[in-house]
Amino acid sequence: MSEFLRSYLTVAIFGLVGLALVGAFLGLGRILRPDHPTPQKLESYESGVDPTGDTWSQANIRYYIFALLFVIFDVEAVFIFPWAIRLDAYGAFGLIEMGIFIFILLLGLIYAWRKGVLRWA
Amino acid sequence: MTDFLNTWGLTAVIFVPLIGAAVMMLIPEREEETHKLIALLTSLLTLGFVAALMIEFDYGDAGTMQFVQDKGWIDVINSRYILGLDGISIPLLALTVLIVPSVIVYSWHHIPHPGNAKAFLILNLILETGMVGTFLAQDLILFFLFFEVVLLPMFFMIAVWGGEDRRYASLKFFLYTLFGSALMLLGFLALFFLAKDPVTGAALHTFDMRALTASAGSGIVHSTQLWIFAAMFIGFGVKVPIFPFHTWLPDAHTQAPTQGSVILAAVLLKLGTYGFLRIAIPILPGAATTWAPWIGLVAVIGIIYGGLACLAQTDMKRLIAFSSVAHMGFVMLAIATMTPFGFNAAIYGMVAHGLITGMLFFVAGSVKERFHTLDIKRLGGLLISVPKLGWILGIVTMASLGLPGLAGFWGEFPAILAAYNPANGLSPSIFRTFMVIAALGTVLAAGYLLWLYQRVGMGEPSEEFAADPGITDVNTREWLAWTPLLALIVVFGFLPGLIFNVTDPAVVQILDNCLQNADGCTAVAQSALGRG
Amino acid sequence: MLAALVQAGGSFSRPSVDWHAASPELILLGVGVLITVIDVVWKQRARSLVVGLSSVGLLAALVPVVTLAVDGTPRSMFGGAFVVDDYALIMKAIFLLSAYVVVLMSTNYIAEGDYWENEYYSMLLTSVLGMLLMTSARDLISIFVALELLSIPAYMLATWRKRDLKSNEAGLKYYLMGVFASAIMLYGMSLLYGSAGTTLLTGINKAVSATDKPTAVVTLGVVFVLIGFAFKVSAVPFHTWAPDTYEGAPTPVTAFLSVASKAAGFVGLMNILFVGLIGRSDVYQPLIWILAAASMIVGNTVALRQTNIVRMLAYSSIAHAGYMLAPLAVVSADVVFAGGGSVVVADQALRATVTYLAIYAAANLGAFAVVIAVARKIRTAEIDGYQGLFRYAPGLTVLMTIFLFSLAGIPPLGGWFGKFRVLEALISPGTAWGSTLALLVVVNSVVALYYYGRVAVKMWVEEVPDGDMTPVRVPVSLAAALGLTAVATLAFGVGPGLIGHFTEVSLLAGIGG
Repeated sequence: MSEFLRSYLTVAIFGLVGLALVGAFLGLGRILRPDHPTPQKLESYESGVDPTGDTWSQANIRYYIFALLFVIFDVEAVFIFPWAIRLDAYGAFGLIEMGIFIFILLLGLIYAWRKGVLRWA
Repeated sequence: MTDFLNTWGLTAVIFVPLIGAAVMMLIPEREEETHKLIALLTSLLTLGFVAALMIEFDYGDAGTMQFVQDKGWIDVINSRYILGLDGISIPLLALTVLIVPSVIVYSWHHIPHPGNAKAFLILNLILETGMVGTFLAQDLILFFLFFEVVLLPMFFMIAVWGGEDRRYASLKFFLYTLFGSALMLLGFLALFFLAKDPVTGAALHTFDMRALTASAGSGIVHSTQLWIFAAMFIGFGVKVPIFPFHTWLPDAHTQAPTQGSVILAAVLLKLGTYGFLRIAIPILPGAATTWAPWIGLVAVIGIIYGGLACLAQTDMKRLIAFSSVAHMGFVMLAIATMTPFGFNAAIYGMVAHGLITGMLFFVAGSVKERFHTLDIKRLGGLLISVPKLGWILGIVTMASLGLPGLAGFWGEFPAILAAYNPANGLSPSIFRTFMVIAALGTVLAAGYLLWLYQRVGMGEPSEEFAADPGITDVNTREWLAWTPLLALIVVFGFLPGLIFNVTDPAVVQILDNCLQNADGCTAVAQSALGRG
Repeated sequence: MLAALVQAGGSFSRPSVDWHAASPELILLGVGVLITVIDVVWKQRARSLVVGLSSVGLLAALVPVVTLAVDGTPRSMFGGAFVVDDYALIMKAIFLLSAYVVVLMSTNYIAEGDYWENEYYSMLLTSVLGMLLMTSARDLISIFVALELLSIPAYMLATWRKRDLKSNEAGLKYYLMGVFASAIMLYGMSLLYGSAGTTLLTGINKAVSATDKPTAVVTLGVVFVLIGFAFKVSAVPFHTWAPDTYEGAPTPVTAFLSVASKAAGFVGLMNILFVGLIGRSDVYQPLIWILAAASMIVGNTVALRQTNIVRMLAYSSIAHAGYMLAPLAVVSADVVFAGGGSVVVADQALRATVTYLAIYAAANLGAFAVVIAVARKIRTAEIDGYQGLFRYAPGLTVLMTIFLFSLAGIPPLGGWFGKFRVLEALISPGTAWGSTLALLVVVNSVVALYYYGRVAVKMWVEEVPDGDMTPVRVPVSLAAALGLTAVATLAFGVGPGLIGHFTEVSLLAGIGG
């Protein structure tokens, strides 16, 4: 049982330290920051313009989809760089494999296009 | 034919009912007569197989397993498909295959509400497979499987065809017995890992009951033995049922349809006591010796408690149910003595109780059907209104209270006698105390049974049923179903040797073995007949 | 950056690919891509084609699994990160067959509702692909990739009824809890990698078993990884997502999640536990013991109070996760000779869990198939809707009874053998902790029987509430799903040697245990 307690003591300490850190940072911020509230400071910030309408404004979902498509092809590059360096060793096998990889990703783009995601209106 | 019986006979007895059930599943529900016919023929075929086996059986060698079949089954856990028949199994096997056709004949015009003969009879046949299999299995896992197979059909029989409180009663029955058998399985597993060969000391790793009986607990520390025995004690004890695990029984019996009650009382309860005889005591005789006084104690508590509870019942079926608790107490007391004499008495008691209580439930069912009530206060004067039924009830109550000349006597009297002289290592004074209490129990039994008969059978029929045209005497189907049972109650009353001679060699064999091999087993193996 | 990469490579050679070993995954990948291509070209006009294609794909992937099993030699690729052995193969077979049954269950459900169909099947296949990878993954990175590959499509499948708020809730909860668990697990993996210096599980085993390593980091790593998987298999106290997700998701998806996804979690857990962490039984044994005991007790007691059958099955599946975790709580590196030969306790535990998974898969899929079939008529999953089912749908009632009582572990239905193997594994080491857990399994089985039995009583005993006796029309594919699962459930129960033969697997060969 003492063995059991000893190994789990680590976990308990870790958890406590984690909680303490959160507490410490929030507390520290509270102590250090100047605190002079005015009504204007409590308004939400919209580029210096007076805020209008509800805080729950809807962003167009298409922004999100475009961002997603961008990320896919952005991340793809991470795989292509090391592959390019080792192309010698891979030979034709590597070329075909990367072809398949890019084809599958491209399929995603074609899919999005066919489903009309890329049409803005 | 002999060859077939020797190799596949026991398998055939187990699976013929299942095949019948499978055939019935293919036939549409509205062909009710066909269903009844197939069910009856199937159960009669099974009876025929058992009769053939009993003719082929070598009674001179009743102590050894015969018609053994030993085939691979679940290799990964080293469990095998082993069947065998010896003197202990024969009476119970015969009882089972006799009760089932009776029930089916009785069902001819008595399919309880809500009907559906097909499903009802299929359940009966599946029950038969489970019960027969349990008495024949010689492998613990196979035994466990058959032991559990009876659960589902009985659950449905109570739940679908039962009385008002059937939901509660069926679930209670199911939960109790499952709890017991799951614990029992734990015990079996512990045996598997711990049992050792008595000669070489090597671990056995087997579920083969023959090998485990031969090892008789050698190599298992006594305290561990006690735990394993306790697990099996609860497992089998719930089924018997032993006080304090008995509370499911009155509910189940009261709510079950007549046929369910009959099978429950006649055979299902015996699965528990059979487990004690065949598994718990022979495999762990050392622990059994330590536990025996406690088994004896709960047995006599059951006898007295059952008897007192009977006196307080107003419902005839519930009264019979509680009388079962008392009667099974006698059987357990006989088992607790751990002597061949006691074991013989126990088996006799099991068969007698099966026949008698089965009959009592049949009669109760017929009374209920005619009078639409089992309230003892409202009934009365059966001897006048339905004289034949009244007489049958009279004979069976007399048998139940242990009147000499009827089967019940040979179940009860030797059980009490056995307690006078328990096995070496068991305290005679404790068991003699039990004996005295059990003897009081017989007085109690006479009391409540005679009182029941006085209120139900004698007196004037009550006014409310006077003009009821539905009240008729015993009909042909009932005669057909009941005659064999009634005949056997009388025959076994006069010729107890019919059973004792068969069981004695097997009982001596099983107890003899633990004398030779067990640590601390001191049961004296003497021929009961030789001494008595 | 590029220069550094070139430097680090040194003498690099192309890793060899064992095409036979990888073919189940490749086939599924191919079919998944093909479905997307078809979808791109013909859109929803190709729906019927896609259903057939995904069934054929799943069964086709089963062919190399069988040929690999017949061949029998364990294969290893990518420096031991991808291993195909008997254990991987039996799990692959379970996943493929379960997914096939799920496709059968989905066919009419998805077609008759207003759902995207082509995407549904390609998501399903992708998720199964992740599961197949998981069975062979013996490396932290491949385990994590497999886990995400199987989870992300599952998040989407859970929200497939996108006009239904409950389905949205289901998917969102599942997603949030899932990524939270992934994050914790990834943190734990990084700690393990940090202390071992390798992501290969065999290497981690060597490192964590060595006594001179700092144990605090390893302990944290083990605990976090286990907690991550505890979410995945919905073990108490990390189960909170399961009931809501199961209730809200489309029923075939619920079946998929509660069987295949849960099994995949177990596969990942067992890979890490047996190959990577077996030396640290001092850390994982108590944790798994508590998870198992809590899952059984909480799952069963809460299931008692449910009025919706899907929620009841959800809580029961939490309890089953407890039964399946239980054998893992007695696993340790100590070699104890416990069988007719040299069966290691750890092997026995692995076999118990694998056996249980297989039998549970059949019964649970079957139960959900009945729920789908019955819902076609009564349009609800409330248990009270099942009243009097026997009167108008006797066949479905018998099947449901078989599945429920198999889950309860009543012989001669399959479930008993799973429970038996679990108990066997728990008792074999002969320790007090193991025996206590065995006792808990027994008590919980009885509790569970109460709520399964209650449904049975409702179906068999009660009268039909509205007197509507029109029979339930069961479409062919759903009937096929019911038939397959029922036959499997009965076969496992009567001839357990069948399943026992295939689950004689070991994960210890790889580490020389």
